[in-house]
Amino acid sequence: MIMPSRAALLRVLRSVFVFFVAASVTLIAHHEPLAKFDDKKPVTLTGVVSLLDWRNPHVHVFMNVKSGTGELVNWAIELESPIELEESGWSHDTLHPGDKISVEGMAARNGSHQAWGKSVVLAATGRKILFASVSPPPMPLAPHPTPRWPDGQPRLGAGAQGRQGYWAFPSATALVENGVNAPMDAWGLLKNIADAPKVAPMQPWALKLYTERQQRFLQDDPMYLNCKPPGGPRQFQLQPGLQLVEDRTRQRIFVLIGSGNNNYRIIYTDGRSHQGQVGGDDENPLFYGRSVAKWEGETLVADTRGFNEDFWFTNGGLPHTDQLKLIEKISRPNYDTLKYDLTVDDPGAYTRPWSASWTLRWVADKEMPRHLCQENRS
Amino acid sequence: MKRLVFAVLAVCLVAIPALAQEGHPLKGSWLGTWAGNKTLGNDVVVVMTWDGKSITGTINPGTDNIAIKSATLNPEGWLVHIEADAKDKAGSPISYTIDGKIENLPLANRVVTGTWKDNKGGTGAFKIGRQ
Repeated sequence: MIMPSRAALLRVLRSVFVFFVAASVTLIAHHEPLAKFDDKKPVTLTGVVSLLDWRNPHVHVFMNVKSGTGELVNWAIELESPIELEESGWSHDTLHPGDKISVEGMAARNGSHQAWGKSVVLAATGRKILFASVSPPPMPLAPHPTPRWPDGQPRLGAGAQGRQGYWAFPSATALVENGVNAPMDAWGLLKNIADAPKVAPMQPWALKLYTERQQRFLQDDPMYLNCKPPGGPRQFQLQPGLQLVEDRTRQRIFVLIGSGNNNYRIIYTDGRSHQGQVGGDDENPLFYGRSVAKWEGETLVADTRGFNEDFWFTNGGLPHTDQLKLIEKISRPNYDTLKYDLTVDDPGAYTRPWSASWTLRWVADKEMPRHLCQENRS
Repeated sequence: MKRLVFAVLAVCLVAIPALAQEGHPLKGSWLGTWAGNKTLGNDVVVVMTWDGKSITGTINPGTDNIAIKSATLNPEGWLVHIEADAKDKAGSPISYTIDGKIENLPLANRVVTGTWKDNKGGTGAFKIGRQ
């Protein structure tokens, strides 16, 4: 019988250890980093890569770091999703086991050996790697005219001649009442929790609930925890973007999202009322509500109601009730810009109707990236 | 018979997995106990809704059908206060007051815990969980 060498045995044991550490890392769907990591706990780590786990919802780099007592400690470094990193030019070949790296980041709130990697530097070259750097396409010096159907109506989706594209890079990624200055991060987390009452005219219970969601760093967001659809205006504030597919024959517009559970919303333009389909959605409140729309000049005006209460209708966790009604005014002032004006009317959660507006950018000739949330992972 | 109806209702509610309810925290169906309630029994079902101004609902729908007379939710501490008038087995009026607190607010299976009392000296622990 051939006995393995001590070194070979150690290699096997190390691989088994790394596998179990990797398997034990909490897999939360593509989430607000601050839900899991604490920006008040910065860490700087230098060590050797043991494994690069290149998969959704987040890429993980596992590295052995020598502790103060000389022991090797295995750290899990969490990074953006593979889609965002690949969009930024990185791949699973960017880093290999055995590479020496330095990481700056923030440590996990639960005290485990996990960190969010703000910066990963390859020691051999000093090159900064594995960072997401997706930016909106440059605006043309002179705006291109709004694309139109033969009857002159603006096209909200792909241009003529089969040119593809999608809408992304919303100018605001969370709902805030027009005119209010309440700085937030890209996930809708307030920079200053004292701004919470300014965000929207909430009833006391809604304000308290919103504040508590914020204080828990949005970790209870059902879109990430349970792959619940991003109903309402949230579709128009998702970082991966959306597509508007106009079916003029059947008089409806499909709103397709590049994230969440990839389901779709239908905006009917055939003149129907809000009446649901008998035996279908006539009695059931829905994640996307029932949307009917008509064109008023250059603007599509959608009236949506009949929402359920099983989801967050905005990044950042503003509450809503099943009394929510939305008026969305969607227009395309030029080829590259979608303008979205929203009025929220929900007497169950707010003290008065209120409005918010933002724009999205056209990403031409590209497929919409598809983050897929299923089985509570995205 | 009442216990049978309650048992069937309870089984139906338990069989339905708790759905996340991200709107008003009290809205929905709640199942639990008011311990030591000799008039109506230990088990209790409460169904509540929110119209934007007030909380309304029914205690033990289908069996006792006790309309909630008033209910409030104080967001500071998520304190719940419920009042309801019923009748005892002899047909005499009996008034219930429930005071509690919502726990596990962010979770689908949140609970209200506290105490109940009536105007005839009855009192005990109260606990209901959202279904």
